[in-house]
Formats: sequence, structure tokens, C-alpha cells
Amino acid sequence: MSSPDHQIVGRIFPRSDGVARVTGAERYTVDVSLPRMLHGRILSSPYAHALIQSIDTSEAEAMGAVVLTFDDVPKTRYNERIITIPPVLHKDHTVLADKVRRMGEAVAAVAAETEELAEQAARAIRVEYEVLPAVTDPHEAMKRGAPAIYDTVMWGKKEIAVENNVAAEREVNEGDAEKAFAEADATVEGTFRLPKVYHAQLETKSCVCRPEPDGGLTVWPTTQSIHNVRILLGEIFDIPLSKIDVRRVPIGGTFGSSIQMNSPIPICAALALKASRPVKLTYTREEDAHDHTRYGCTIDLKLAAKNDGTLLGADMELVADIGAHNIQAYSYLGVSIGWLVSLYKLPNVRYRGTAVYTNKAPSCAMQGFGNPQITFAVEQLIDELAETLDIDPIELRLKNYVGLGDTFWGQGPMVKSIVHSDGVPQLLATGSERIGWKTRPVAGQNRSEDERFCRGIGMARGFHTSSAGAPQPGDVIDFSGAMVKVNIDGSIDVITALMDHGGGTHEAIAKLVGEALCVPFDKVNVVPVGTQTTVYDCVTHATRGVYAGGGAAVKAAELLVGEILETAARYLNVYPDSLDLRLDEEAGQAEIYSPAIDCCRMTLEELAKRCWMESWKTLAAVESYRPTNCPPAYVAVFLEVEVDTWTGQVRTANAVMGSDCGTVVNPAMAVGQLEGGLSKGAGYALVEGCSWDADGQLASRGYWLDAKIAAFDESPHVENLTTFFADTYEPTGPFGAKGIGEAAMNPVAAAYANAIANAIGVRFYELPITPEKVLSALEGRKAEGDARKGRHLLDRSSGAGDAR
Amino acid sequence: MTERRPIRLIVNGRAHEVSLPPNTTLLTALRDLGCTDAKNGCEQGECGACAVLLDGEPMNSCMILAWQADGARITTNAGLGTLERPHPIQEAFADAGAIQCGFCTSGMVIATKALLDRNPDPTEAEIRDALSGNLCRCTGYGQIAAAVHLAAERLRNLPSWSASSASEDGQEPAFKKRVLASDDVTGEGGRS
Repeated sequence: MSSPDHQIVGRIFPRSDGVARVTGAERYTVDVSLPRMLHGRILSSPYAHALIQSIDTSEAEAMGAVVLTFDDVPKTRYNERIITIPPVLHKDHTVLADKVRRMGEAVAAVAAETEELAEQAARAIRVEYEVLPAVTDPHEAMKRGAPAIYDTVMWGKKEIAVENNVAAEREVNEGDAEKAFAEADATVEGTFRLPKVYHAQLETKSCVCRPEPDGGLTVWPTTQSIHNVRILLGEIFDIPLSKIDVRRVPIGGTFGSSIQMNSPIPICAALALKASRPVKLTYTREEDAHDHTRYGCTIDLKLAAKNDGTLLGADMELVADIGAHNIQAYSYLGVSIGWLVSLYKLPNVRYRGTAVYTNKAPSCAMQGFGNPQITFAVEQLIDELAETLDIDPIELRLKNYVGLGDTFWGQGPMVKSIVHSDGVPQLLATGSERIGWKTRPVAGQNRSEDERFCRGIGMARGFHTSSAGAPQPGDVIDFSGAMVKVNIDGSIDVITALMDHGGGTHEAIAKLVGEALCVPFDKVNVVPVGTQTTVYDCVTHATRGVYAGGGAAVKAAELLVGEILETAARYLNVYPDSLDLRLDEEAGQAEIYSPAIDCCRMTLEELAKRCWMESWKTLAAVESYRPTNCPPAYVAVFLEVEVDTWTGQVRTANAVMGSDCGTVVNPAMAVGQLEGGLSKGAGYALVEGCSWDADGQLASRGYWLDAKIAAFDESPHVENLTTFFADTYEPTGPFGAKGIGEAAMNPVAAAYANAIANAIGVRFYELPITPEKVLSALEGRKAEGDARKGRHLLDRSSGAGDAR
Repeated sequence: MTERRPIRLIVNGRAHEVSLPPNTTLLTALRDLGCTDAKNGCEQGECGACAVLLDGEPMNSCMILAWQADGARITTNAGLGTLERPHPIQEAFADAGAIQCGFCTSGMVIATKALLDRNPDPTEAEIRDALSGNLCRCTGYGQIAAAVHLAAERLRNLPSWSASSASEDGQEPAFKKRVLASDDVTGEGGRS
């Protein structure tokens, strides 16, 4: 919670971009319009797996359109996501496809004077395909004789062969798992199936690109990282980076879908370069829905424990469905084991992860990057273990969780740090009290009078890492930079490349800088910028915005404080060390003063103005910041659900969500993060999931009517939702803050599964838990119950003892 | 190619004579007129981000052809209030934290306006029903429902606002400010 010492951090102010957003004045990439701008369209493949025999563009060109095919674009193979260091980066993507590997892949692109003409020109392109058999199941794809989606890909600078469609493998062994299982008093296991899920961000992927007279490019993209877009465009089109300015534009949602450079961006750049005119290229909803999903996977997980509940070890096999491109499969396999061993202390671990290509939409990070999948499996097995050992599930969690002083793997085996702040005991105590944990029914024993409705209570806990920081450099790039400067009216410009996806990251940074400089919140402005005017920031992902991006801004602000005091000391004729800064709330500005000499003081505005009038300098500082920790932002979710045994529908009767995000920088927006996480988690648990037919055709065809997400009524109702925050302070974070965003979603699906199991006595290892699955499970249980009754009779008649 | 036909679009109190191919959607026509507050979220009538009021009735503007709105009063979110004087519904959305990325917000505000015009004191269930055609991926809808309650309460105490929208009062819509916002993003004033 906010320390009483804080004057700005933790206070609620009107959101600075609030009025622009509510009145519709905010401008997103899709709203950018430039003089002489052309409109781009892609030609999507109607097949999931095909060779392109020929492309005839003459008709489209006769319509006046600028047309691109594979022959017109650079042949450089790249990875859209460059957070992994170059020597170990897999690269299988080109600007346009030479071979189609998923439905909807761009095989050609056009730009024309109007959207309508562009659409007509794209349709006028004739493509002859040689259709290849598609493979959509990762387990099938690994079998000998399965269609080969790639022959080779680049790995760093090397070209490597792809065998059995396996894109990446990872094995981790710690301790002696075999021995742990041999010595265990109890084991639990399950096979968990998690679907690919569409991000469904409201603004589809989009880009505006303008070629500049110096051979450079100015780009307005939907992205989570303007600098990584710049680096990739420079690499692909061989343009010096100093000539590429990628602007930071508000984004209409992303949830991980724009961590990598979005696929329309280089296409748009290629069109603009060929046309020598600005081009806008925006995906239609159908194109966007074919373009990206969360990682789907199958998890075989086994846990070993002693009778007293102490966990001894885990064995996990994970097969990931990565779709048609390897965006971050190797990292995904690494974080998956990281999530497991950072949830609970597991001294002995055997892990094998395999990432497999399929002819489907490419998988990429989506809120939690693999964490909701692992938490779904682990938190169900912890409940089962508690049941087996007859220990309260919350006690079992408290006994084994990774907390204060423990080693925390965060984002995989190369990102290790120590936990310095831990609100888990508070989260579990407060959450269980508010949901009425003690009144939790015996599983399947809480039916309504008419026998129709079953109520149950369940919980799950989890975390997400704040950044991917670690004491040593690993194979993940994670650092931020910021510049802070004082204007002559005492207002502050914060110049950062860090994106805000709408969750309030920029508000938080303004508060943190205001706190450090003792400047009121309304005088601190996170200004619109581009790559040419900012220092590097890797990307807003991994719940790192406030912790790492904010950390960089605070580091720059602290450097600036020294500069301010040094400069003021000259004017005030005192030693710099005798001076301090304070917020003069009445005057609404920062004041430099000497605690020892009463009359020795000046405002920050006076100082900045004097530096200007006397032709001296701008008070400014720039810093880079590498977090050396990745503290866990803990979350606990407690749910009471009501299962309708007639329809199979699950209603959220009560929800309690607790977050340990260290100092709460933006209290109102932090609640929004929790509520949003619960909604997306409820969607993941009960509603969402993409499916493809054997030919690789997306079942929803990209229509939202079928690609369902949680709408107003499917989201847990607000009157039944309580949120709260643990009272912790993260010593490595800016003013004690950790992250929050992704953590909010991670345990939600597991909490639903546990609550449903408590309500009806049936466990679901596959998401989403649809009404059909609930009904069929209830019928199955009834049938099983009847069969068991029969067996009892038989057993008795044969004189056998244990009917189990 | 389709033949253009002249129509009259009365947007936020201002009449525009435009000549459009008959298959142009109202959403495209509005955005071409600079009303970028109406957002294209799907062009399938599913997400509600493009919602506008057509003679007071909420519609997904991607599902109507522009000529169907010929002569009708069209109100977009930007027509309800300005940056200097936001509509109480818009203020309530900002105050209740009902905005994150903001892409769905214009449609949510329009759906709320339509609801509160016919039902000044809606129940939670009525709010959910009225806004069921608007998707939001950020907030989880809780703070949006809270914003609608807050707006309803404020409007009941401010009858003049509930009676008519800003544009119907003859106020200048927020168009000028939007161009300024464009400058922030593109670094230029030009519009195609």
C-alpha cells in the first residue's frame, strides 16, 4: 500500500488523458491520416498450407494500384520479436510469404488511392496455389510422415533444419525427480489441455508509414515497443536506424499481441517505399483474428509430496502448439518451467518442453505469457493433493509457496532472483475470510432445494514477474531508459519510449517522477515521442511498465535532483549537500530549500527560469536502468460459483481478488487491472477458445459472433466482486512498487476449475469449461455413480472387501 | 465501380453535403468527414465501437449504409461534449475509471446516452442489457457499469443535460480539438 510518506504516489487524480479518451478525441494509429496517403490491403491466402505457383498482378496494376509480391520485398528472414538476443533467435518470417503456412497469410499487398480501390485491386490479383496437406494438431505434426511446414529456419546466423515440425525443445533437471517420486507418500497427476485463444484487442493491427526525403521512414504503428520496430525495419530494409522514427501512438488494446513487430508493419513500409508515398495498412477483424493467439498447449504434470504436505518434486511434459511461426517458442518453454518452480518450492524437477509448428495462427504472448496455462494445472493439482492428504488447501499452499527470501525463477532458468516482498499470507487470510472459506461445502454436496443449482467455493493463487530482470544478462533483453527535464515554467517533460496500453503506466510514471522531484502530478507530462528522440526501452510486457519503466524514470529523476541542487547551490551560495527539495502544495510547485537556513530557498520554476535567462543550461537528466530483480506480483482469487445442472452454465456468485503489487501507485487504475484480469480470466475459463478444422480453416472465420469473448453479461458482475491490496513494500521497486497487470489474470481459470469441482465434484482439465462439457461430465458422473453402485453389489456378492 | 450519389449527413448539428457510392457505410462516411471518434472495431456489427445515435436511436454505424442516414440527425460521441465541456456521461466514464485503452469508449458512451434518455434510473440488469452489444477487452465492464450509474445519478440532478445533447444545444462540436490531437500524433496539421 502507499506509504504515508508519499505525497503523490498512491493518491487518486483525474486521469490526465481521461477527457480526451471519453470525448473520442484521442487518436490511435487507425486515426492517423497524412497528405497524399494511400490505403493498403493484403491479399490473404485462402489455404493453410500451400506453395505459390504463380502470381498475376497485371489486372491490379492496371487499376493504378502499387502491388507487392514476394519477389518485390527483401528476402531477409527475421523474427518479429527481438527480445531474445540475436545469437539464439529463431527466424522464419519474411515480409510476404513465399510459401503459405497458415490461413490468412499475406501473399501479396496493394496500395491505392482509396480503401475501396485497394480492396478491388487485391481481389484482382490471381494466385495459383499448389495446396499441401495441412497439419493442425501438434502431436500429429511431430509424427514421422507429417507434412513438413518448414525445411529450414535461421537460428542466429546459422541455417538449421527443422525436423518433425519441432521448432524448439527445452529440458530442465533439478535435483533427482525420479528419487523424489520413489520416496513420495502421495502423488497427483493430470493431463491439462489449454486452447489457443484470440487476444481480441479492440483496435486491429495497423500501421501508417511515410517515406522521408533522406531515405528514412516515419512510422505510426500499433506496437508495444517502438524501438524494436525500428531495429527490425532497419535490418529488413537496410536503412540506418537514425533515419527511422517510430512514433509512440496510443493503442486500442494489445494484451501481448503487439510485443512482436506486427505483421502489417513491414508490409506497409514496403508499400510506402515502393509508392514513395505515405501508406496506411489496417487489418480487418477477419485478418486480425487469423494473425495471432495465445499459446495452446498440453501439460502432463505430476507432483510428489510427503504425508505432511511438503512438496518433493514435479515432473512436467509440455507440448506447445505454436502455429505457423516461431515468435518466442524457446522463451515460452523456458518461462513455463519458471512459472512452475516459482509457484511452489520443488527441489526435484524433471521438465521437457516441446514447441511444435502447425498450420494455424501463430502463437504469441498473451496476458501472462504461459503463466495462466501452468497455474491452471498446478493449482488444480494442489487442491487434489490437499484432498488426498486431507489438508486444508490454503494451509498446503502456505506450507509450500515460493515467498520471502526464496529463489525465484521468474521468467525461466536464466532469470533468477530473491523474493524481497511477500504479501501471500495476507492475500490468503483476507481472501478466505471475505469469501467465507470456512463455510465451503463438501465437494458436490451443496444443491439448491430443487436440486437444480450447485454452489461451490474455490480459490487459486499465482503471480507474475515484474520485468525479466536478473543479476546477470541472460538471453532476454530487459532494460529501460528515460529522460526527465525541467521546463522554465517548472513543468516537467518525461521522455520515455515506454508504451502505455491504457492501464495507466504513463500515469504511474508521472506520479513516480513527481514524487522524486516533489513536483505536483499535474505539472508532470509524459510527452508524445518517437525513437529518434528517446533512449531505448525494450517493450511494455512482462508486467514491467511501472517496475522497470518507472524504475528508469525514477533513476533519471534522482540524477536530476542532484543537478537541481548543485545548480541551486550556486545561486543560493550554500553547499549542495545542505539543500533539499520539498513539495509546496499551496504554491503547487517544488521548492529547493536549506533546512538549516530559513530564508535560503527558491522554487524549481525560479531556478529553471534563471538558468534560461542567464543562458546557462536546461536542467535535464537521462538514465538507463537494468532491473536486477523480477519481483513476483502475487495475486489470489477466491470464487463462489453456481452451476446450473440443467443447462451446464456457470455463474459467478461472488468473487474476491487480492493483489500484492507493493506500493499501489494508481489505486483506481489498479482496481481496473484486477477487474479486467478477472473478466479475461473468466472468458478463458468458460467461453473462449479458437478451433480449426483439419484443413486449417479457423472455425470462427474471424467473425466475433463465433470467436466469443466475455461480453458484459459473461463478465463477473461488479456487485459480487471485492478487490483488495496487500500492505507490502518492494525494496527494489520505484517507491516500493511492483507490477500488477498480468498477475491479475494468471490464477483465474484455475480458481474457476477449483470452484466448479467444489460445486459438482467434477474436475475439468480442459479449457474452456463450456456448458456442453459440464452437462456431459454430470451425465458421465451419474453413469459412473450407477456403475459404481452396481460394482458394490457385485463386490459384496463375491465377498470382496474394498469396493474402490 | 458504383455511381456516386449526393446525400445530406447532419452530424453533431452540422450538415454535410457529400457524394458517395451507394455501398458506403455510415461508419466510413463519418470517419471520412473527420469523425474518428466512431471507431472501426470489426465492421461486423459485433463490437459496438462504431455506435452512433440516429435520430436518438443507437445504431452500429458499420451496419448502415450512409444513404440510409440521409437527412437524419446523427450524433457521435464527440457531438455529446467537448474537451472543455465534456458531457456528464463522458465525465462519469473518466471519473469511474471506466476507460483503459479507450477504443470502445465512444460506443459505450453512445449506448449509455441512448439508455439514459429512455430510462433515467436503470437497474444493473438494465445497464447490462443496454450495453450488451458493446465489447470491452480491458476493464471487465465493472467500472463501466459504475460509470453508467454515476452518470444516471448526475443527470437526474442536471435535467438540462438529460434533455438535450450539446450539439442539439447548438454548441460547437469537439472537431477543432480533434485536429489538435491529430497534430500531437502525426506532428503535422495535414489531413488527406
